[in-house]
Amino acid sequence: MRETKDRRPKTQDQKSKDFCELTREPLDVGAIARRVVPETCGATVTLDGYVRRFTGERQTLYLEYEGYEPMALKEMKKLIGQARGQFEIASVGIVHRLGKLEIGETSVVISVAAPHRRHAFEACEWLIKELKRVVPIWKKEVYADGEVWVEGEKQSAKN
Amino acid sequence: MKVQVLFFGATADAVGKREIEIDLTDETRANDAFQKIVRDYPQLEKHSLLFAVNQEYASGDEIIRNGDELAVFTHVSGG
Repeated sequence: MRETKDRRPKTQDQKSKDFCELTREPLDVGAIARRVVPETCGATVTLDGYVRRFTGERQTLYLEYEGYEPMALKEMKKLIGQARGQFEIASVGIVHRLGKLEIGETSVVISVAAPHRRHAFEACEWLIKELKRVVPIWKKEVYADGEVWVEGEKQSAKN
Repeated sequence: MKVQVLFFGATADAVGKREIEIDLTDETRANDAFQKIVRDYPQLEKHSLLFAVNQEYASGDEIIRNGDELAVFTHVSGG
């Protein structure tokens, strides 16, 4: 399940520290952020996305994430490639957790290292927006009185 | 020919299975294959669906080959 940079396509720059992974283990945000840091950079922007208790007025007990794992990894790799084309960034790491997550636990980490912080902020924002639009992962919100698979915005559809 | 169809999250719950195998005639277009799946499992109709062929979002024009992997799922909600 864990996919590391060892399995990157050969066409990718071997010096890059890019990675994308899916895991059922708790995420260590600091450790993930440190993995992307090259010496040429001056800033890493890291998004720590975690489980919110309230969505509107409804109280969530916990979340379950499920992914179409091989396609999710492919889409994550594509996003990294696109981000590198659009922003002046040095390296990107994306790790999404799957399975049952308690309130406050980290579900997704995106770390972007860049020579200058502005590009890292812009790329990180773009990456989470795109991840939520195209990467085939779904969350089920479990409440005291039921559960529901969250379905993304229709207009967010690919194609 | 036989192809595998995968369901995830809401579509897996709707169909009651995570995976099925369907029989298609050769040279079936992806759109026709997906329409057949929704005809076979009309409970999918109440969802807004996305389709994939071999782990890529489908345009619908793909020609399905023996052994291909199709997937039917709702709009994504990760993050």
